[in-house]
Amino acid sequence: MTAVRAENLVKSYKTYKRGSGFGESVKSFFKREAVMVNAVNDITFEIEQGTVCGILGPNGAGKSTTVKMLCGALYPTSGSLDVMGYSPAKDREKYVRRIGAVFGQRSQLIWDIPPIDSFAVNKAVYGIPDGEYKKRLNEMTELFGVEDVIKKPTRVLSLGERMKCEFIMAMLHSPEIVFLDEPTIGLDVIAKNRIREVVGEMNRRGVTFILTTHDLEDVEQLADNVIIINHGKKVFDGSLGSLKSVLGSKKLITLNLNKPFSGNELNGAAVMRDEIGLEISLELDTAKQTMPEFLNSLTAQIDFKDITVRELPMDMIITKIYTE
Amino acid sequence: MRYIKIYLACLKTAYSRAAAYRSNFILGNLMTLLSNVLIPLVTVLVYSNGASFPGWDIWQALLIQSVFAMSSGAASMLWGGILWSTMGHVQEGSFETVLLRPLPPLFYLAALEFDPESGGLFLGGLTMTIICTLKSGAAQPENILSAILLFLAGLAVMGGLELSMAAISFKWVGNSRIPEIADSIKEFGKYPIEIFPRSVQCFASIIIPVAMIGFFPASALLGRLPAAAYISVIPCIIFFLFGIWLYDRMIKKYEGVGG
Repeated sequence: MTAVRAENLVKSYKTYKRGSGFGESVKSFFKREAVMVNAVNDITFEIEQGTVCGILGPNGAGKSTTVKMLCGALYPTSGSLDVMGYSPAKDREKYVRRIGAVFGQRSQLIWDIPPIDSFAVNKAVYGIPDGEYKKRLNEMTELFGVEDVIKKPTRVLSLGERMKCEFIMAMLHSPEIVFLDEPTIGLDVIAKNRIREVVGEMNRRGVTFILTTHDLEDVEQLADNVIIINHGKKVFDGSLGSLKSVLGSKKLITLNLNKPFSGNELNGAAVMRDEIGLEISLELDTAKQTMPEFLNSLTAQIDFKDITVRELPMDMIITKIYTE
Repeated sequence: MRYIKIYLACLKTAYSRAAAYRSNFILGNLMTLLSNVLIPLVTVLVYSNGASFPGWDIWQALLIQSVFAMSSGAASMLWGGILWSTMGHVQEGSFETVLLRPLPPLFYLAALEFDPESGGLFLGGLTMTIICTLKSGAAQPENILSAILLFLAGLAVMGGLELSMAAISFKWVGNSRIPEIADSIKEFGKYPIEIFPRSVQCFASIIIPVAMIGFFPASALLGRLPAAAYISVIPCIIFFLFGIWLYDRMIKKYEGVGG
């Protein structure tokens, strides 16, 4: 069942060119040139209920603007948006009851008081019954291991502790869809893993997650589907598996050598090597040359003691898509 | 009922926030009170040097400024946070945290940004109002009822003014002069309206009826407000509704900032 349907979504902004330097600053004080920017430019996609969808893209690609439109916080300039039967911005009050959101760079907790007091405000705002609230709060604090943390003022919490509390704040009213905008930004490995575990657990219980991130591990560990946006346009929409095959059937081969290798090419593939040349990596396109053929040819050309064959790392795939 | 529960929950939070910084809370109350008490002191100096507002003795003139201080304190508690909070959210691009709540954004911000620190100003203004009313010998029950009605109308004016200014901040991003504009407009309500030219009298009683903040309720307490002046309650309500309409309209212009 489709949870989110976006068709020809556009969000444009009017900005002004101000120029640089004294002369241009004075000039722009009297006359400014207006420029229209399409932050999101004619994007169409669908997201299935109960899945985790990762929205990727370089800085300024339009990911956050897309998520803000999906949350009902921004009105689209044109195009249509349907989330669980609602038009997010137009039906905002009814719609946001059924969603949750965590913005990695915008806190929803009240800074000067403990998170538990912020949760109490949300309890009143969403009209959560006492019993349900206590049950949900206990469950979430236990999952995140923050039973004591929620009683300390938010301003004294570490980033990891605060993000866990942001999650609890977003999940207390049992939302059906949760938007995560860079939820693991700046977190240590332990905090990231805990958050990923909870997202995975909630997803198994049927919650749909829409995630924007620069951390590809988030996507690899959580996402069923990936949408990649660049310069406001959708450049990829598909499963994680199809994303990995986007560059063809390529493998990354790493060799540990007995003697340093100084060449730039081996067996028809470009070579990347470490400083002393005892470890080299090659990209093999198995559509052009099969693995047995490659290995046979390799053993004849070079003396190596160990070999590792891996899928191309996600960051190489993403970099390739961004730069195309 | 739901809205009352939410308002009370936010009110508790506002006092918890204030209590988190006790000395700031106490000093904030005192400073707001003192800075507003200084204005009546100017009036005292004027009268003690033989000058006066024509037709107003010192207690009557002080009454206007006491009612003004009380109204300002109450309005600041109720609406004052909306302007600053909206300006901050728009500038930082965090207004979506408000829009994510299943509530009218104005109500949520008004509840969440309730300002306990203005309680000192309200209580100080109330005390001075009681003293000036007693000194003026004008405490008639019907006058008090009229003054309460006009006081509420004055709160509506200040609400409309705060909301209009907050609405402008969606377009005029990061302009710290916006609150100063609101404060300057309110100044006309602090003195007997007769001392101003006719055009200013018209502006302060009909267009943006700031005379309702201090002058009209004080005149009603003294029993010297002409019946025709009660018509000014209508523009107060219209102005308040205009503020709400403008704010809701300007929310659609919210654009956020880069992520």
